[in-house]
Amino acid sequence: MSTTVATPASVERGESPARRAVRRFLRHRIAVFGLAVIVVFVAVALLAPWIAPYDPVQTSWTAIRKAPSAAHWFGTDENGRDVLSRVIWGARASLMAGVVSVLVAVAIGVPIGLIAGFAGGWTDAVLSRIADAMLSVPFLILAIALAAFLGPALENAMIAIAITFSPVFVRLARGMALDAKSTDWVEAARALGNPPWRIAVRHVLPNIIPPLLVQGTLAIAEAIIAEAALSFLGLGQQPPAPSWGSMLNSAQRFLENAPWLAIFPGAAIFLVVLSFNLVGDGLRDALDPRADRR
Amino acid sequence: MSTAAAPPLLELDGLVKHFPVRDALGRRRGAVRAVDGVSLAVPEGTVLAIVGESGCGKSTLGRLALRLIEPDAGTVRFAGEDLGALSPRALRARRRDMQLIFQDPFASLDPRMTVEDAVAEPLRLHGIVPRARERERVAELLTRVGLRPEHARRWPHEFSGGQRQRIAIARALASGPRLVIGDEPVSALDVSVQAQVINLLQDLIRDLGLTFVLISHDLAVVRHIADRVVVMYLGRIVEDGPTEAVFAAPRHPYTRALLAAVPGQGRAGAPPLEGDVPSPVNPPPGCRFHTRCPFAEAVCRELDPELVGGAAHRAACHLQDRLPPAVAPAEVDTGGERLRRLQSFFQAGSPQQAPAAAGTTETQREPWGASA
Repeated sequence: MSTTVATPASVERGESPARRAVRRFLRHRIAVFGLAVIVVFVAVALLAPWIAPYDPVQTSWTAIRKAPSAAHWFGTDENGRDVLSRVIWGARASLMAGVVSVLVAVAIGVPIGLIAGFAGGWTDAVLSRIADAMLSVPFLILAIALAAFLGPALENAMIAIAITFSPVFVRLARGMALDAKSTDWVEAARALGNPPWRIAVRHVLPNIIPPLLVQGTLAIAEAIIAEAALSFLGLGQQPPAPSWGSMLNSAQRFLENAPWLAIFPGAAIFLVVLSFNLVGDGLRDALDPRADRR
Repeated sequence: MSTAAAPPLLELDGLVKHFPVRDALGRRRGAVRAVDGVSLAVPEGTVLAIVGESGCGKSTLGRLALRLIEPDAGTVRFAGEDLGALSPRALRARRRDMQLIFQDPFASLDPRMTVEDAVAEPLRLHGIVPRARERERVAELLTRVGLRPEHARRWPHEFSGGQRQRIAIARALASGPRLVIGDEPVSALDVSVQAQVINLLQDLIRDLGLTFVLISHDLAVVRHIADRVVVMYLGRIVEDGPTEAVFAAPRHPYTRALLAAVPGQGRAGAPPLEGDVPSPVNPPPGCRFHTRCPFAEAVCRELDPELVGGAAHRAACHLQDRLPPAVAPAEVDTGGERLRRLQSFFQAGSPQQAPAAAGTTETQREPWGASA
């Protein structure tokens, strides 16, 4: 191992796998950069009421489609609303949609996947086929269908994204449970007299958290894009409330004479999605099970 | 320990386990006959070794004996009780008395559990000590297997193979089992560490009066600690007898070949085995060993031999009374000697042991530390 482990005699408490992963992650500069960008965006989203210079829905007939200036750093849109303020408030919708929908997808998918992987047989066949069927429908079509069925609203878009993403987690958790089922340490747990539910919760679950974390982080990036796409199509955040996707939607008519309307929300989506991907990659390296061996 | 009337602690009767072989479409295309009609008994307080080449079914047999896998036929009785008749819940409770030590200490410990949690798990599962005394009991167990109690809050990845195997042994002993099955417990370890772990196992067997089943292909180790040896070939027992008798006068040609194959055993007289083990999907008719047996006759190709002979020492061979006399073990049994030397090296407080922390006994640290 290239990692330097502190001399055994000097440490009382060992280095937990989680702490070791953090240490490895921090060595990954680009991933740390991504994390910093995410932290900034989260802070901006949380502090939106205090840092946004204008009310994001306040229209103004005297400032329509004004280019970026000292008064309006990111310019104004076709209704005279401040683009910077809308980007700041839009961060709330986008990050919320990304994080919440993935959390819901994990909460739906992981238990189902664990049950499928552990139970095997018919249970597994039925659950897996349902997940496969959902995965075989193009993502956006399914999300649009669900969002249209539930009605256009940010919450419904989040539910639609969560449902369309959950089969990914079903498959991941099932695969990991199958893997774990064949390991010696799970057989050892059985030999010690662990009931099956305890093996799943106490042994398998902690061991599949690393890949879930990686997959979850990457899924947040996708979910943010999905939310932007649904909002762009009018199925997500409803006007006048701002969201990066809906801002892009209204900006497309003015791409030639007011490009800042598209550039700023577009750049925000780009930066956040890139950052989540960078963090996901960093986590994947930091949590690499092959480095766990010895 | 055991009186003649007491039933054996572990009794296997006619155990069969076939693993189905399926083709690409999932249709059954025969079966691997991993264990094919095995009966044996292990009296309380004895050490039984099961030896054989890889693929002969000895690990499967170990798992069948603990009902970690279900047999296709036959029964397993533990302390007179049919394990196959127990409900899942009753079986889990029974696991307190029977434990397994795995071959690969890098795979058998949950990577996300501290040593303390791993060793305490059986205590908790079977309610052996109150929560408050748990830590104390874990410290005792770790000391017993030659680890420092301060290691309790560390994770498995911080230990070497030998230390991990000690942790696994502590975990197996935590519930105070009567029967311990060791599935190649030292073969994944370095030779020097092997000797230490064998010493430890031997001490534990003696001090705790354990009934121990050692699954191994290392005959030097088997000779060292087993009271009785069972030799397996292609899912069957081919020879079963007291260790000394089997080593001094093997009655089955396969046993002879195995003994001859031990490096440095000095049995140049025995013919070496040729060819590979036949497929367990399609074992040869008659005696399963006839394809490789240097003494095979017409009868061997047709009739499957029974396990016969005296009550103490039996073999499944038509020719067992007509074989040319076995080559006596050489005067200098170098394989055993090598192991003995290694063991004495680690038993006596040897000069190579760094004068580490004061108060640590010799088994407590391996010379190369935890991060090797």
